[in-house]
Amino acid sequence: MLNRRDFIRRSLQAASLSAIGSLPVFDLVPQSFAADAVELAVRTGSDIPALVRETVAALGGMSRFVKAGETVVLKPNIGWDRTVELAANTHPQVVATVALLCLEAKAARVRIFDRTCNDPRRCYVQSGIAAAIEALDDKRVELEHIDRRGYQEILLKNGVALKKWEFYKPALTADRLINLPIAKDHSISVLTLGMKNIMGVIGGNRGVLHRNIDEALADINSVIHSDLTIIDATRILTANGPQGGSLDDVKRLDTLIASADIVAADSYAATLFGFRPEQIPTIVAGAKRGLGVMDLSKVKKV
Amino acid sequence: MNAKRRIDWHRLRQATQIACLLGFLWLFLQTEYRDADQLPYPVSLLFRIDPLAAVADALAPGPFSWEVLWPALLLLGLTVLFGRFFCGWICPLGTTLDGFGKVTGRGHTAVRPAWRRFKYLLLISLVVAALFGVQQIGLFDPLSIFLRTLTLTVYPVWNLLLNKLFDVAYTVELPLINETLFLFFRDNLMAFHQPIFTLALFTLLIFVGIILLEKVERRFWCKNVCPLGALLGLCSKYALIERRPDAVCSDCQRCATECRSGVVAGTYRKQECFLCLDCAGFCPHERVTFRVSANSPPTSIDLTRRHLVGAAACGALIAPTMLISPAQAKVNPYLIRPPGAVAEEEFLRRCIRCGECMKVCIGGALHPALAEAGVSGLWTPLLVARLGYCEYNCTLCGQVCPTGAIRELKVEPKRKEVIGLAVIDRNSCLPFARNEECLVCEEHCPTPKKAIIFEQRQIPVDGEMMSFKFPQVVKNLCIGCGICETKCPLQGRSAIRVVNEGESRQQQNELTTGGYG
Repeated sequence: MLNRRDFIRRSLQAASLSAIGSLPVFDLVPQSFAADAVELAVRTGSDIPALVRETVAALGGMSRFVKAGETVVLKPNIGWDRTVELAANTHPQVVATVALLCLEAKAARVRIFDRTCNDPRRCYVQSGIAAAIEALDDKRVELEHIDRRGYQEILLKNGVALKKWEFYKPALTADRLINLPIAKDHSISVLTLGMKNIMGVIGGNRGVLHRNIDEALADINSVIHSDLTIIDATRILTANGPQGGSLDDVKRLDTLIASADIVAADSYAATLFGFRPEQIPTIVAGAKRGLGVMDLSKVKKV
Repeated sequence: MNAKRRIDWHRLRQATQIACLLGFLWLFLQTEYRDADQLPYPVSLLFRIDPLAAVADALAPGPFSWEVLWPALLLLGLTVLFGRFFCGWICPLGTTLDGFGKVTGRGHTAVRPAWRRFKYLLLISLVVAALFGVQQIGLFDPLSIFLRTLTLTVYPVWNLLLNKLFDVAYTVELPLINETLFLFFRDNLMAFHQPIFTLALFTLLIFVGIILLEKVERRFWCKNVCPLGALLGLCSKYALIERRPDAVCSDCQRCATECRSGVVAGTYRKQECFLCLDCAGFCPHERVTFRVSANSPPTSIDLTRRHLVGAAACGALIAPTMLISPAQAKVNPYLIRPPGAVAEEEFLRRCIRCGECMKVCIGGALHPALAEAGVSGLWTPLLVARLGYCEYNCTLCGQVCPTGAIRELKVEPKRKEVIGLAVIDRNSCLPFARNEECLVCEEHCPTPKKAIIFEQRQIPVDGEMMSFKFPQVVKNLCIGCGICETKCPLQGRSAIRVVNEGESRQQQNELTTGGYG
């Protein structure tokens, strides 16, 4: 059977072989989730590397998600020129430890990138992620800046908000994508969690998506599938998101949430802010499109 | 000096020129954020050794920047002792002209020696005008011309061409041009973001014009126009340099045609000699020698009192004529200066239009002004927020400014430095004008307590009440960084624009309500 990644790669290839100017057409049906099979791991602890290991182990270990020889993309939030304690970017230790777990699962290559909002160089350094990855000192793990040349226009056959948009090819074609958002307040989408984090691998004028952000995010996430979502709630930003800037808005929770179901992970994360999942329109849109399960009573906590 | 050492001098001089040029180019490439908030090298060294920058700084109100500009005074001191060696050995524009002269071909028009006077007259006019409050030295400073052409035109074009090449290499397999090469270029020889600048073509045309003057005669610019050459010349009158013979020999005359500074025609004058020492090498009779001598007699400059008075009067008239135009900071609300810029009047008197701040600006926000800052503000830096914004935690422009036009701010005060105020245009802002959600400006606003807030309101749309979030600027929190204007998702004109109201640098009376009187 053709798996999802192969299908994407073939679509891209077919478009590049056919007449010049034609775009790859995506009419992906979301990966179906049998409700009883959705597992969600939530762990707390202040030792972040240990917390990451414990959380992923609860889901059955990284080898359930990453196979030997695969190329894995990690998509943390590195969007802002802010230091770790300000809770605007994913914690560097979360990113570094997940990268290590991928290597332990025999991944051939781990690529890490984000399309930032502030200057990319400043964000990579200031977030602490550059230093954490450098400390791994492993050539298989690459923290790389988005390459302007890597965007690929795609036609979304079933798109509700998006008809045609640029996506970052390395994210499309990787064998696995692990989504590593940080849980934050956001004025337009109420919260920014897993689904919103995937905005970091698309091109174009992202600001226009705010007009219909929930459907746009559902569209984007139906193209880019997160094989595993690990939400960093070691500290969350409760106001002035998504970039914060004041410690007054940061709340320490020492929590990680992980699931193969992005909607389930987001739904649980919403509860940390005192919301019910159905109060977050992005989650509702995602669930309606079949991207995952938002009814937490139907999710198996592991 | 024996014959063998003469040849060495020629080679040594060329090697020094090339080494200096490469050194300045290397510093130029380091004039960029490279993962450290503080630049590790003195990237604006070219202007720290520039005596004209020191003149501009000295004539501006406020204290002289000793700690930045002491190398310029050192150069002046060395020139007093040893003459205009800077022109022959160090000046990157001089080296460029020597290099391009070979390409374009050099003219041998016999330009009247009186033309040499022009550079002194120009220098005097510029200095007197600066004394009277209008500083235009940067327009003619050869080092400014060199660096600003590099910044605004040559480097962006270099990047564009390389980017196009690597674009092709991304999709098609090319021999040699692979990813490794791309990464090497990207990390060492290219800008992180493709630089784009207003005035790129205009700046280039002037540079090309100066190069084409080589078709008239060799080093036309340096001999006749360059005010830095004039200043160094004035300082060389008593230099301890002695050339023998001190005039063209009647039996040969080769110096008269081959000297790059054309100085030996008639009697030797230290003020005009670049000290390239070529004549000591090419003299067929091996007669020419240079030596350092405490008894070297002063040589005269061909300037009469009438010339001096005329040039000074010119400068004294130009200044008030330019000053009677209205203050641009008032007339043009979009004249946004970099953070740390001193008050407009002093800014214009300090800025030597070198382009260092535009080169280093991490957001590509600073652009050269054409008329936006008035007639006296050509090539001064201007923040064009639709093209790029001022990065909240960045202090690079203040670090590179050689004349204190942009003060160096630490990060904390920089974050509080107000360079303008964002103003929302409700006629085009999406929630107001089209009842569409947006708030991209609010999302990007960097102040810890956001200077752009929103209000959620119900409004009727097609007879149905719908809820929208409407952005609003909080005046006493906004610092005018312009990220809202850069990121506004509207096509073309932004629905939020930064105006220069309430800048920290302008002394104003203040009201208790937070406004300005």
